[in-house]
Amino acid sequence: MTETVTDVRKQMRGFIEDNFLYLRPDVELGDGDDFLALGVIDSLGFVELVEEVQSRFGIAIEDVEITEENFGSIDAIAGYVERKRAG
Amino acid sequence: MTATTLEGDLRAAAGRDPSGAAVITKEGSLTFAELDEAADRVAAGLAERGVERGDRVAVMLPNGLDAASAFYGVLRSGAALSPINPQTKLEKLTAVLADCRPRLMLCDTERMEIASAGAAATGVAAHEAAGIAVDGEPPAAPGADDLGSVIYTSGSTGEPKGVMHAHSNMAFVTGSIAESLGLNASDRVLCVLQLSFGYGLYQLFTCVRVGATLVLEPGFAFAGRVVQLLEEEEITILPGVPTVFGVLLSLKGLTEREFPHLRLLTSAGAALPEAMGHQLREALPQAGVCPMYGQTEAQRICYLPAEEYDRRPTSAGLPIPGTEAWIQDEDGEPVAQGETGELVVRGAHVMQGYWGRPEKTKDKVLPGRDASERVLVTGDLFRADQDGFLYFVSRRDDVFKSRGEKVVPREIEEVLHGAAGVKEAAAVGVPDEVLGAVVHAHVAAQPGHDVEEAALRRHCAEHLEDHMIPKRVFVHSELPRIGSGKIDKRSLKPLDE
Repeated sequence: MTETVTDVRKQMRGFIEDNFLYLRPDVELGDGDDFLALGVIDSLGFVELVEEVQSRFGIAIEDVEITEENFGSIDAIAGYVERKRAG
Repeated sequence: MTATTLEGDLRAAAGRDPSGAAVITKEGSLTFAELDEAADRVAAGLAERGVERGDRVAVMLPNGLDAASAFYGVLRSGAALSPINPQTKLEKLTAVLADCRPRLMLCDTERMEIASAGAAATGVAAHEAAGIAVDGEPPAAPGADDLGSVIYTSGSTGEPKGVMHAHSNMAFVTGSIAESLGLNASDRVLCVLQLSFGYGLYQLFTCVRVGATLVLEPGFAFAGRVVQLLEEEEITILPGVPTVFGVLLSLKGLTEREFPHLRLLTSAGAALPEAMGHQLREALPQAGVCPMYGQTEAQRICYLPAEEYDRRPTSAGLPIPGTEAWIQDEDGEPVAQGETGELVVRGAHVMQGYWGRPEKTKDKVLPGRDASERVLVTGDLFRADQDGFLYFVSRRDDVFKSRGEKVVPREIEEVLHGAAGVKEAAAVGVPDEVLGAVVHAHVAAQPGHDVEEAALRRHCAEHLEDHMIPKRVFVHSELPRIGSGKIDKRSLKPLDE
């Protein structure tokens, strides 16, 4: 399971770097860093991020799950995906 | 009794309904009595630090209880409130402080570093808002004609301009907005907008005026949080900008939810695209849609009553209660009905002027039809239908000519919004030796959709006159925005070269 979580982290980091950080070489994104506080993703960006998590990991995301607790950082996403997969 | 100042509104609300919830946040909440007392303590603390009637106090705080207390505390101290976007960078902050010359600045721990740097460069003292409150008598209440706020506009024209409103202007427009929306003590308004912008700030002021509850979020990022709050907090009114509604509409489960309390969606900041308004009506049929139009110089100018939305979805509506607006040509003469001209506004909501910029003020606030009148020229082109409902056409500066014919970017944008998969669209004129200017369109696609230039140009050709069809359509992942959330058209142009 640990490996899967690590893999989720790695994939999400890749996606975020490709899609949101390409214009922000100054930003060093840590797994626990708050996307909002860093200003790397805005409300429209989160729409893309949620779509990506949904299609990449094949999980059904409910609208009320789109919160800071589940999508606010790489760690948050990894934890959320793990919980969803565990059902 | 109608209070003539906003701090008087708070005093009155605390007297009527002391235990009523004034502001609710994730961290805690304040009743009207508690907010009133907090404002007293901030006002007393400001007085102790030498703030006097006639001073300005800058407040750079994120949405929260401290911000609400600080805003009313400053107003009660007799100083003018100058709210600053909590995301402001040092260069802009320094420019604003240098222009505003506040007696002091309030911020939070997180912003102390940038506030201190900005303050040091301009000789202003920065204090943490949480530490400024003291017990003690607040100073004498400000007068209605005293300067109440200096709000810096986030326009992309370079130097910041501080828009001045007297307490009486603020109290008037607060009452007029509340009346236009039928806002009352049973309303629960969800504010995801920054309080540092007029549109957000007046959510707080209007709620306090009528004794309604403001549910205040730090901002808008996570749509799921908004859905949760609409349900759990039994929200009746959701003010948004088109981006907020666009993100909400992207939620698949939205139509299955009921939100039985939600009665009104108000939209300002940018024109609400017609397609988006229809989607909102379908997804949330119990809620009326109320597009509004304003500018910092008058806060709110017009609103479309929700019951008119289905009949005139593209209208910006009627002047807010107690004000007047008309459309005039370049010579200052009223245009014939249906003709396009500049919208001119008259009423007690019109600003006093720009802080320290009498020349700029003269371009914007003009003598009216007789000696007693002052009118605000909006710089925006409108037309009216036979019932007097107003329609935004474009910024006066946005219109350009291509092939010798007038191009109104807004019309092209509406057509692009109607194409499948398009989330955002902006049309701009790019100089062209032969045609004078050609139309370039910039679009961002909805997630999961691919949009292609050729298909979009075809779509435009089906719906627009020849001279309006974009010569190029550029597809972006998102469109650049200025601080207030509007699409930054100025920065779109150079990308073309």
